[in-house]
Amino acid sequence: MFDRDTEGVRIELRALTKHYPGQPAPAVDNVTMDIPAGELVVFVGPSGCGKTTTMKMINRLVEPTSGEIRIGGQDVLSLDPDELRRHIGYAIQQVGLFPHLTVAQNIGLVPKLLGWPQAKIDDRVEELLALVSLEPSTFRGRYPRQLSGGQQQRIGVARALAADPPVMLMDEPFGATDPITREHLQNEFVRLQRQLHKTIIFVTHDFEEAIKLGDRIAVLREGSHIAQYDTPAAILDAPADDYVAGFIGQDATLKRLALMRVADVPVTDTIPDPALPQVSADTTLREALDLMLAHGTDRCGTPTGVLSYAELCAVVGPRPEEAMTGDR
Amino acid sequence: MSFGEYVTSRWDTISLAAAEHALAVAIAIALATVIGVGAGIIGHHSPRVREMSIAAAAAILTVPSLALLTLLIPLTGLGWKSTLLALTVYALLPIIRNTVTGLSGLDAATVEAGRGMGLTRARLLLKVQLPLAWPLILTGIRVSTQMVIGIAAIAAFVDGPGLGNQIFEGLSRLGSVNSLNATLAGTLGIVVIAVLFDLFFSAVRHLTTPRGLRVRP
Repeated sequence: MFDRDTEGVRIELRALTKHYPGQPAPAVDNVTMDIPAGELVVFVGPSGCGKTTTMKMINRLVEPTSGEIRIGGQDVLSLDPDELRRHIGYAIQQVGLFPHLTVAQNIGLVPKLLGWPQAKIDDRVEELLALVSLEPSTFRGRYPRQLSGGQQQRIGVARALAADPPVMLMDEPFGATDPITREHLQNEFVRLQRQLHKTIIFVTHDFEEAIKLGDRIAVLREGSHIAQYDTPAAILDAPADDYVAGFIGQDATLKRLALMRVADVPVTDTIPDPALPQVSADTTLREALDLMLAHGTDRCGTPTGVLSYAELCAVVGPRPEEAMTGDR
Repeated sequence: MSFGEYVTSRWDTISLAAAEHALAVAIAIALATVIGVGAGIIGHHSPRVREMSIAAAAAILTVPSLALLTLLIPLTGLGWKSTLLALTVYALLPIIRNTVTGLSGLDAATVEAGRGMGLTRARLLLKVQLPLAWPLILTGIRVSTQMVIGIAAIAAFVDGPGLGNQIFEGLSRLGSVNSLNATLAGTLGIVVIAVLFDLFFSAVRHLTTPRGLRVRP
């Protein structure tokens, strides 16, 4: 349907507006935005700011009042909505699995609609269950009511991925789980997206989640107006205004530390010290700092040497643009 | 003549009346299911249709059955036609109501997910909404059936089929030979039919409720 079939394609929103009849102000007011191919863009904003409405216009669950949407160059508003939706993955907070269908049937539904042969659907179900770390032989035949909340959300994501759509829309897909499960799902999802390179629009009101997952973040205010649209590091580093700063909260520096890993910091002291608390290359700087504080020391051992508190501060200190180049 | 002897001697008449009684109920329920579920589906999307159809079906229920059957005589005459028409309209309310409740009570997220995945409205209705609402719709049909089995006895008044004939026959000759036996045979026959229909529906419920709705976590 779109020019490339499984890897992400570009999404363009042009002057997109949704004005519900009888409402004084539009829910989404004249939004123009480009979402680059293969990137995960997080819409973050308070409840009722229009972020979900904006997202739902992309698969036309909400019909725009005016404006234009292009996915991979195709004018979305000229396509058949049901056909369009079969090519856009959709995952929501309440998951909405079909309780009368098994896990395999839930996941296989869209491929079936698209006319895939059953053998191919079966293979795909296996593959997706493995991808979301659920043992296929155990879970294939289960019904949604036999699953925990976290398992349901994984199946929700697997179902959204089923037909290997180039574009995914996700509305707080991990919102309904406990913090531990959520963190776990987020980590898995980051790993998944590194493999899959879908174009993903991810809606959340949780700024921490936005930082963790997003290649870019669009901070939205009332009417889905874009307050700032940039990479997480750039937003943390230079919030556009007080509204964005308020969203970030008081601990912007700590959040920036959480974006960087030990491997991103060149250490000057390259002699390992086994007596110090040790971190791995993959540890975030925030975790490294936490470890230092917990041990009452200002240094910790890394695979390449010893990281000091001063070096850690320097990273988020006066010359941030240099440190920000670290690959996320 | 004892009750046992009465039933044995009139077995042909009684069993035919019972069969006709059950048939009339079955046909009326089948018609009411088609009309009621249809109205319920339309009513699910249109609040106006919902309110009107429920109000109409409720209004019909308040008309005494004897009066309704009498009113139908000029339109559909005596016998089967009037009986079926009356039973069908009496059966509508629980079916429409439960269809609407069943459909609107579905988890909104399930429906939204279905739309978001690209199910057409028709497919969503047939593959998701109706199967999930089915246990409740079936309950409505079951309630209607029990109700209509009793009302069907009145149909004898317009020369309709069924065990009502036994009851009316007995009542009209009260005090004479076998009058009590005839009334008793009609009444017990109706009870037996009601029990059999209920067993039937409980089997249908068991066989048609999607497995995913029956499993325990």
